[in-house]
Amino acid sequence: MKVWKYVVAAWMTLVIIGGFLIEIPEIPILEQTARNIFFHVPMWMTMFLLFVISFWYSIKYLNDQDMEFDIKASSAASVGVAFGVCGLLTGSLWARFTWGSWWTFAEPKMNLAALALMIYVAYFVLRSAFDDHAKRAKLSAVYNIFAVTTIPFLLYVVPRQLTSLHPGADGNPAFSEITADELRFILYPAFIGFIALGYWIYEILSRYKKVQFELENS
Amino acid sequence: MQEDTLAVVDTLTQAYADQWSGPAVAEDAGAFIQFMSSNELIYVVLGVSLIIWAVLLFFLFRVDKKVSKLEEQIKSSKEA
Repeated sequence: MKVWKYVVAAWMTLVIIGGFLIEIPEIPILEQTARNIFFHVPMWMTMFLLFVISFWYSIKYLNDQDMEFDIKASSAASVGVAFGVCGLLTGSLWARFTWGSWWTFAEPKMNLAALALMIYVAYFVLRSAFDDHAKRAKLSAVYNIFAVTTIPFLLYVVPRQLTSLHPGADGNPAFSEITADELRFILYPAFIGFIALGYWIYEILSRYKKVQFELENS
Repeated sequence: MQEDTLAVVDTLTQAYADQWSGPAVAEDAGAFIQFMSSNELIYVVLGVSLIIWAVLLFFLFRVDKKVSKLEEQIKSSKEA
């Protein structure tokens, strides 16, 4: 194992401890759940990064038909979906105790995030429809490029224009003067930690798939 | 400008407004809801952490099983 993985393990341990123990100001309704920002928001950041990695390798595959790129693209998308599911479930639990409902159709970001995940689920459905490796790789790479272009619109552009219970709606910045500044001290390290953790899991999965591919073709 | 257009577009908010009107805990709420709502909602943060842990664990177990299958394949191909 490489050194950076031990650093990630220690870093994440500190982020979790810090996330629970840091002093936060009293915020009505949110109360202690303000700490969820350290866990819920990085899920989405990690998902974005993994989808960008997936997009990158899909382009590389179309340029140069090397199966390794397809393996990396599909591994990144799969770990990205796992983090997206974490984001949806944590968001749903958080919503129940602050907004009063597990799910509301009045909340654009929530529903569009679910839609974005559906688009990526379709990517895996598409992949499973082909037995021929080269055909599967090529078509799913093309689909993946379409899929990633929807993400910024579904999760940033559209929700920002609508009324939303999420911070950052109505054209406001998510972190404004009404948000407690102290939260940043844990939030930004949490971004780094979870993104590194997601990259680590992606690396393990793609290494596994590569070994499997080489075994099948040996 | 936004306020006007929103007033027209956003009928869903009105329709669902009573459903997310606040975190009030009813007396007759279930034991789970009452427990989660106690102690300034800190258990919600615990729940969120556990959800992430559970999903990552699930993912890890799946990859682990796949690796075991590969190992068996290698083993049986060596024996054959």
